[in-house]
Amino acid sequence: MADLDAKATPLPSRARFVAASVAAVLVFGVLGGRLFQLQVVDGARYAARAEAARTVEVPIRAPRGLLFDREGRPLAVNTPSWTLYARPADLPTIESTRSAVLARAAQLSGVPVSVLRQRLAAFSGSPFDLLPLGHDISRDAALLIGEEQEQLPGITVGAEATRQYLDETGAPNGELLSHLVGYTGPVSRGELADLTALGYLRDDSIGRDGVESSFEAALRGTYGSELLERDAAGRPVKVLQRLSDPVPGKNLMLTVDARMQRIATETLEWGLKAAGVAQGVTIIMNPQTGEILAMVSLPTYDNNKFAAGISTTDFAAYLADPTKPLRNHAIADIYPPGSTFKLVTGLAALEEGVTTVSQRWPTYACYQIPDAPKGQCLFDWNHRGFGPLSIVDAYAKSSDTFFYQMAVGLGVDRLGSWAQELGFGERSGIRLPGEAAGTVISKAWAQSQGRPDVFTGELAQAGIGQNAIAVTPLQLLDAYAAVANGGHLMRPMIVRGETDANGNLIQSYAPEVIRDLPASAEDLRIMRIGTREVITTGHAGNIRDLRLPAALSGKTGTAEFGTPSAQGVLPFHSWFVAYLPSKPGATDATLAIITFTYSAVVRGNLSLEVVKYFLQQYFGLSQDLRRESQVTAN
Amino acid sequence: MTAATATFVEMTRARRWRAFDRQLLVYLLLLIGFGVVMGYSANYQAIAGQSGLSQTVKSLIWIAVGLILFSVAASIDYHWLQTFATPIYLVVLGLLLATGLIGTNLFGAQMSISVIGLDFQFSEISKVLMIVVLATFLASRGERVGRLSTIAGAALLIVVPTFLVYRQPDLGTALVFVAILFGMLFMSGAGIGWLALLSGAAVALAPFAVGALQEYQRQRLFCFLNPATDPQGACYQLVQALNAVGSGGLLGQGLTAGRQNQLGFLPVQSTDFIFTVVAEELGFVGGAVLLALFGLLIWRVLRIGWGARDPLGSAVAAGLASMLLFQIAVNIGMVTGIMPVTGIPLPFITYGGSSTISLLFGMGILQSVRMHAWKPTF
Repeated sequence: MADLDAKATPLPSRARFVAASVAAVLVFGVLGGRLFQLQVVDGARYAARAEAARTVEVPIRAPRGLLFDREGRPLAVNTPSWTLYARPADLPTIESTRSAVLARAAQLSGVPVSVLRQRLAAFSGSPFDLLPLGHDISRDAALLIGEEQEQLPGITVGAEATRQYLDETGAPNGELLSHLVGYTGPVSRGELADLTALGYLRDDSIGRDGVESSFEAALRGTYGSELLERDAAGRPVKVLQRLSDPVPGKNLMLTVDARMQRIATETLEWGLKAAGVAQGVTIIMNPQTGEILAMVSLPTYDNNKFAAGISTTDFAAYLADPTKPLRNHAIADIYPPGSTFKLVTGLAALEEGVTTVSQRWPTYACYQIPDAPKGQCLFDWNHRGFGPLSIVDAYAKSSDTFFYQMAVGLGVDRLGSWAQELGFGERSGIRLPGEAAGTVISKAWAQSQGRPDVFTGELAQAGIGQNAIAVTPLQLLDAYAAVANGGHLMRPMIVRGETDANGNLIQSYAPEVIRDLPASAEDLRIMRIGTREVITTGHAGNIRDLRLPAALSGKTGTAEFGTPSAQGVLPFHSWFVAYLPSKPGATDATLAIITFTYSAVVRGNLSLEVVKYFLQQYFGLSQDLRRESQVTAN
Repeated sequence: MTAATATFVEMTRARRWRAFDRQLLVYLLLLIGFGVVMGYSANYQAIAGQSGLSQTVKSLIWIAVGLILFSVAASIDYHWLQTFATPIYLVVLGLLLATGLIGTNLFGAQMSISVIGLDFQFSEISKVLMIVVLATFLASRGERVGRLSTIAGAALLIVVPTFLVYRQPDLGTALVFVAILFGMLFMSGAGIGWLALLSGAAVALAPFAVGALQEYQRQRLFCFLNPATDPQGACYQLVQALNAVGSGGLLGQGLTAGRQNQLGFLPVQSTDFIFTVVAEELGFVGGAVLLALFGLLIWRVLRIGWGARDPLGSAVAAGLASMLLFQIAVNIGMVTGIMPVTGIPLPFITYGGSSTISLLFGMGILQSVRMHAWKPTF
């Protein structure tokens, strides 16, 4: 009987098998040991590392703050808009199925299938990223695509908040206030480098103009974040933890009255159209607080176009327009103020003792410049002169030769310093982007032209707001407002305060005094009387006949600029600035207005006619004293 | 045939089946079961809405086929294989050539061909067939087994198939061939001096071999030295595998609950990186149990090898043990970051019909060796 374990011959390899067994034991020992090290000794470290790789902190956007006018009318709101997306990785790979899906998506969304294919072909990111195929698809299309989700693999719709700008009626019409409200636009790749630190995202938007830009931080709020677990493809799987809650942006109330803005716009549009010109500005302010009640800069632009993502052709057209619709001419451009500047020269002359209120000065057809060769003279505007005048009459009649004498008497330093006291040559600090500082005559200005000092002729001309003086319409209005309110130069305000979601003011911002003028109350009163005399006895025409509930006071201005025409006539801008105290010389005006029209070369003062028309409309007067023949272009 | 001889044959058959290694079968079934469960978990993607069941059903079909082959191989006297060694060798060469010519493209490598819709990787079955070929050769050497010519002949036999799989490119299987050759020569009693010399030469030539590798192979190869060199690129799999293994801790995160696995951070988790799923979901305890099962299995294979009746049987066992040990060491070593990433499946656990069938067929031959260790005397 054979034995099961007996071998025919003892094999020489038995020892080798034992050696192999030992090797196997070693291998398993090493593997087991390594496993113990990874899992038990260092397990926590690897688990933490794995979790860090799996999780991602995702921002939660905060809703952008809304904008209201001072009456609580919504001006900027967030409306949902739908975007058609594709996730290339989830699209069918079989060409016929893919075509069917794209065709259906095109049919539902209204985006042509050729555009879909083109965007897919041009996409170079991760196939797991959402690729926008079409913006602003209709709500119905979005709902239908949502319903057919099962049949449309790789196609999805997303809702985003888009900014919409409204007019005083609540209609989506941003042109009324676009320079004040501004717009939001996508953050550019170049800016992102700096903005990322502030929490901006790659596809974020940012305020671009107006209050949208200057109050960006308040309107944006603070984005929150949450910790998401995602799969290897980067798709979120679940929310692990809310890290921080988003803080919604603040809702802001502008100082502007949208209805007043409408009237100011329509009256200015009438004037520009009558004179056949395009550019003009009207600003209305409360002189007591510096609040801007209306600010119109024509031509304007449609900020809703920007909010929706402006087309290249539209944007190019805005940029190419010589009347610069994207610029807020009320604050961004500087012009010679002309005779309106006589307020500054006059106040300075009284304060510095160049003249007394009763002192009478001769006026001339042509004023001989003191240190210039005989015959070099500067004309009065009527080329005749007015005879001897005291300061109030000279201001009312707007005698140029009177104020040449005042300016020469003051000298460049004193005239320049009073101009600066009244806010010229520096930005007013209004919270709107793009404000210009303007130019005030000074030795330094002359030196920048390569001369040791200003010429006396230049100094004389500066006294009537020509030559070395350039101002923004807002600066000029603010200077008049400072005189009108008794000597307080106010910081022009554009935002009144913060509101709840319905536009009810919950926190108002305090008005700010830039400085109190170092002028006596009496001299200020004299200048106010002067502005009243302009209306009543001066050459402001029939505006005195308006049956207004206040003592309209103001000043006209005509400012020559540029190069003479073939007939030797310079083109000119016209100004009219006014305010409405309860009685002559009073400091209680709550409404000041300025209109500026660019190169409106007509017989009359176009700006004066525009302001007259505004007052008629605003106060609901039955009168119509407009003199169209005076402002109609030849 | 007389009644007496009939009774003797029946008696012999009965005694042979009594010698059937039940322990081996138990370990095999446990490992297969382990593999099915882990394959299910790896394919179970709750998030993607995949139950993983269809894959599991497929693997159960393969296992059934494999168990039939196992029984057939066990019941046949392994000495028959000697008769077919030459045709088998030619078939191996032919299949590997065919794979190179008409194989389907899987991860950029030509590694399988489709027969009636089922992908079959011939490199898997070729490993077992080459064990048979080499065992036949080694057994034929008899007393001359210690000579250099034994080593030279065996090397000559395996160099062509090794080159063919290397060109597919399947570096992993090529290395398994080399491991099988070395293990079989060693356990069959090849001259230890010659073997040492040869090993030395192999180590000396290794740098040249690395130089001949494809760029992607070289990058993956060096990840294990420092995975931080390229955690998003070439070393991505290794970094994620280490994270998964480490995340398992002592007891694991539970079947189908491994976050790295379920969230798809192990891109090929059902194939060569399956051990990461074991480690992540069942922890150190689960990994140790699997290692123990492998250890017991190899112990049985080696035990049958040295208890074999003749050099043929012991050489077959030596080949199977070498193959198993090498694959286990390299695969688990790879996912635990102590071996380079080469793409070698984990026996019985890695999903794959051809691997399962080949292994069970090999184990069937081993049972035959065990059952024929007893030789009736006349």
